[in-house]
Amino acid sequence: MSEHIEFQEEEFTTRFSGRTIRRLVSLLRPYLAWVLGFLSAVMMVSGLDSYFTFLSKRMVDEGITPGDWPTLVQIVEQYAVLILVQALAVFVFIYLAGILGERIRYDLRKQLFNHLQELSLTYYNRTPVGWIISRVTSDTDRVAELVTWGLLDVTWSSFNILTALFFMAQISWQLTLIVMVIVPIIIVVATYFQRKIITQYREVRRVNSKITGAYNETITGVRVIKALDREEENLREFSKLTGEMQRAGYRAAWYSALFLPTVQLISTFAIASIITYAGVTVETGGLSVGGMYAFISYVLFMIWPVQEMARVFAEMQQAVASGERIFSLIDAVPDVVDKPDAYEVDSLRGDIVFEHVDFQYEEGKPILTDFNLHVRQGETIALVGPTGGGKTTIVNLLCRFFEPTRGRILIAGHDYTNLTQRAIQSRIGMVLQTPHLFSGTIRENIRYGRLDATDEEVEEAAKLAGAHAFIEKLPKGYDEQVGEGGVLLSTGQKQLLSLARAVLAQPDIFIMDEATASVDTLTESLIQQGMETLMKECTSFVIAHRLSTIRNATRILVIEDGCIKEMGTHRELLRLGGHYYRLYTQQFRQEVIDQVEELAALAAAEQPDAAQAADAQRRDRLAAELAPAD
Amino acid sequence: MFNSTAQPAPPPPYDLKQALGVGKLTGFWRLMTHFRMAYFVSTISMGVSAILNTATFLLLRYFVDHYMVEGDRSVHLAVYVAGFLALAVGQAFATFNSRRLAAKTAEGVARRLREYIFDHIQRLSFTYHDKTQTGELIQRATSDVDTIRRFFADQAIEAGRIVLLFVVNFIAIYLLDWRLAWFSVIVVPVVMVISLYFFRRVEKAYEAYQEQEARLSSTLQENLSGVRVVKAFARQEYEKAKFDKENREKYARGRHLLLMHALFWPVTDVMCGAQMLGGYLFAGWLTIQGEITIGTYVAYAGLVVWIIWPLRNLGRLIVQMSESLVSFGRIAEVLKEEREPVVEGSVRTDKPVRGEIVFEDVHFAYDGSGRAALHGISFSVKPGQSVALIGGTGSGKSSLVNLLPRFYEYTSGRILLDGVELKEYPRHYLRQQIGIVEQEPFLFSRTVRDNITYGVKREVSDAEVEAAARAAAIHDVIVNKLPQGYDTLVGERGITLSGGQKQRVAIARTLLKDPRILILDDSTSAVDFETEAEIRQALRRLMQGRTTFIIAHRIQSVMDADLILVLDHGRIVQRGSHEELIAQDGMYRRIYQAQMRLEAELEEELTRV
Repeated sequence: MSEHIEFQEEEFTTRFSGRTIRRLVSLLRPYLAWVLGFLSAVMMVSGLDSYFTFLSKRMVDEGITPGDWPTLVQIVEQYAVLILVQALAVFVFIYLAGILGERIRYDLRKQLFNHLQELSLTYYNRTPVGWIISRVTSDTDRVAELVTWGLLDVTWSSFNILTALFFMAQISWQLTLIVMVIVPIIIVVATYFQRKIITQYREVRRVNSKITGAYNETITGVRVIKALDREEENLREFSKLTGEMQRAGYRAAWYSALFLPTVQLISTFAIASIITYAGVTVETGGLSVGGMYAFISYVLFMIWPVQEMARVFAEMQQAVASGERIFSLIDAVPDVVDKPDAYEVDSLRGDIVFEHVDFQYEEGKPILTDFNLHVRQGETIALVGPTGGGKTTIVNLLCRFFEPTRGRILIAGHDYTNLTQRAIQSRIGMVLQTPHLFSGTIRENIRYGRLDATDEEVEEAAKLAGAHAFIEKLPKGYDEQVGEGGVLLSTGQKQLLSLARAVLAQPDIFIMDEATASVDTLTESLIQQGMETLMKECTSFVIAHRLSTIRNATRILVIEDGCIKEMGTHRELLRLGGHYYRLYTQQFRQEVIDQVEELAALAAAEQPDAAQAADAQRRDRLAAELAPAD
Repeated sequence: MFNSTAQPAPPPPYDLKQALGVGKLTGFWRLMTHFRMAYFVSTISMGVSAILNTATFLLLRYFVDHYMVEGDRSVHLAVYVAGFLALAVGQAFATFNSRRLAAKTAEGVARRLREYIFDHIQRLSFTYHDKTQTGELIQRATSDVDTIRRFFADQAIEAGRIVLLFVVNFIAIYLLDWRLAWFSVIVVPVVMVISLYFFRRVEKAYEAYQEQEARLSSTLQENLSGVRVVKAFARQEYEKAKFDKENREKYARGRHLLLMHALFWPVTDVMCGAQMLGGYLFAGWLTIQGEITIGTYVAYAGLVVWIIWPLRNLGRLIVQMSESLVSFGRIAEVLKEEREPVVEGSVRTDKPVRGEIVFEDVHFAYDGSGRAALHGISFSVKPGQSVALIGGTGSGKSSLVNLLPRFYEYTSGRILLDGVELKEYPRHYLRQQIGIVEQEPFLFSRTVRDNITYGVKREVSDAEVEAAARAAAIHDVIVNKLPQGYDTLVGERGITLSGGQKQRVAIARTLLKDPRILILDDSTSAVDFETEAEIRQALRRLMQGRTTFIIAHRIQSVMDADLILVLDHGRIVQRGSHEELIAQDGMYRRIYQAQMRLEAELEEELTRV
């Protein structure tokens, strides 16, 4: 379809953009108290972790070495109380940070979703659904993680290192200096590894999605694969992918496996210097046993905060990019906006006029040029013509999914840009080529047309649309679930439901994009009946594929290359012997082809008499359809 | 030292069928075939790492007692330092080696499993695929396999590490002082039970949370794909409310999950902390009483950490490992299905068949349907002849042709190909002899060229591909309409071809394959006259000299057939050539007349205006 413009994934910077970070931080502003709450809790936890080691040192040096039992007990008591305090702080930070994370996910998703409802169809035409979905799901996750747990981990880590250094300095400032040399080295190494590991895992995910794709294709195309006897070649190709996966997975694991031992090995040098120092200064009383023990504990423990920090910084890059993508969606401006003084109207019954309408999606690629059309109230307009000729564009303009780039459209005398979008769209009933239903019951789907409709009204609409009969046959009737996107129903049934939905809306303007997929004869005639109900009441625009629909229209527009090539009734246009004539004969032959199986089925009905009767009936119907309207 | 970039060798072939039909744990054991040594070394390394870790503290004890407290200088300070360094290097190496080998095992097992499942899926029968959902199968092939990979890579090895650390350090403390050892594990059983209980609950809460996440994104997806409906009915506010409801529910479930975490960690913190502190106090008392040395106290304080804290995570690992048993069961279910034997059959030849086909009283019913799809079908075709099948939906046309490549097995009667019963031909050979052009052929998401050469078992030159495309009347479309010509990517992210274009690609593909027998689903979607004429010509070229079965959707393509079979409810109700069938009263004539009448009506209408 020409409406689909090649989507260009915008490039997002991998450098930290200050603006984005500021905006990310501003997400926390409404919850400042929570943030301060969990940050102080985590600082307390972190500081106590360092202090505990210091207390252990005191237990050795002040209690055990001198053999002073009461002092030992006193220190242990203090320790015990602090364990309880720390547990409380742990509770607070998990709870606050976690819930804040959920809250920010909730906020962001709500904001994104609500904004998406306001964006115009042009946005949807150029943005793949998958792209939008990952903005709302995985990107919000990543951002929420960063501003809560990421912030928390960095706070915990840096505070832990600082307090540890502080207590170490209490024990021996000379040794603390040595440790301070080691710390930055560990940080650099850790950051290097985390980068590597994240890159490798990204590669794993990339190959993994290829593997999933291969499975998908093999399962859906298994009949062709069998028919072409291509299993072996296929497996050989797949084996290349699994090899890639094995390699990527192994490399990722290799770096992960190397990371901790390497960092530990580096910190061992610090431990070696501690022991050397303790050994050298033992006579001069430089380092006590407890002091040495505490230093070793501090150094051994230090790899954890360093690892956490490295991880957060490595992930931060991605999270900031996620933030940028989210903000780019939030900042997208809808193309169609109500004017400040836009007004509502109760009815849009009246003529519809397109005046010198131009339209283009992209500069220099006009879809419609100087399009003029005057439709009287109650007319049925059939739009026919090749795909990409502009039929859908006309309908979308009428719904004000887009606005003309030049010229104007009048509905019932109002220039429609002066009305609210709501005023227009709530007066339109629409049935799409591929009918879209929402998960839920049949009743809920029909009620989508008018939310305050009673059950009786819903059923009444279903009857008028010819959907009642099939609904009644379902085990749960109107309360039957339709499945996601209506998968549990046939195409014909979905069409009937979307017709019922449109009937219930009691629209002034009815728009239908006829399905090209063939449905069985009975459903087909029910659909026709439903359409006729609506077309009687409304001014109707039908993108028509069925001959009967085309023939019944008050006017037929042949749209090609963005303008009206031919316009008139069925007979007038046939007489012209032009575009319409060719389209019609081609479509007619196609329908004849489509009917062979059906005719066969009819002809095969068990008693020849009945078959003949059915055939005759059908022939009569066809004849009636074919008879000129006059 | 280690080469991370080296491509790990593909695992040696091993028929995973043997890993099934036995208990799940035995199954895991058999999955490890060829990797057991690596995994064994990995476990040993983990043990070595734990022992060296413990040894470090024991050396520290010796250093404190002898060097620092007693002032014994018989061992030089440098020796101690060198000892510490050596232990650290050994430990680092052992840890790295253990993780590396575990990953090697896991990746190897996963790769073999992936390939086996892939091959298995493509060799399962049509009957299996008819009743199986794609998404379900993909799920098993991907996420269930990944669960098993994680079992070997992380969970089993991590659980092993925790247990080894516990055992080694417990023994070490026991050797230092047996009372201390027993005193230090008082809360261990309690922590284990709480941890197991907690993680089982968390797993459920997490599943509920993930389910809600899935619901949220499908609500979003539905909204996005139905954006025109939403706008056309001006239902934005309604949609916002709907999304908000799901969003809120997710928030609520997340909160529940967090509350559980927020309770578990501090509670076990207190328990483990109290245990550790109690141990310190007890050890301190023993030291003051002179029962143990200060060095022992220091070593104990270092060691006790390893038997208390890691145990909290054991519950998580046990729950995750039991999950992977479930995954294994789900995979085994697929692998238990019998493969279609493709090489079985007594006929051994490389020569193409002639294409003479005889059906003798063939009956066929789909598995489990109970109702026969074909009844007593008998007819014969000479090499190069064409048979047209006509009939309503469900009359048995497709069932009949699907028997030829042995996609399904007929239940009784005989089908003879060149005088030999079809069941004697290996499927593999048979399928090479048969070409199929479907109504809307499936194309693979690769280039147009690859799609045309797909299934051709020899090198094909570009000139040949083009010749085939020309003969299939698709060359001009490929060159003029597709952005990268023959290298244009089809499907998904690429270009979508129309039904008619796909069909012509399939015709080109079949021309290259050059089979003796052809199955043709003859239908062309709405195309203009010239194209239709081209397609008819392409089809005619394709049928030249091949035994052809046509599933007919139009009288025109039936008319030229050597034999027409009119099918109804799985029986042949009429047979003969077009002329013969027109001459007799029956279904065929009625179809023919109805179609002619419609055509005539069109002519009439067109002349009347």
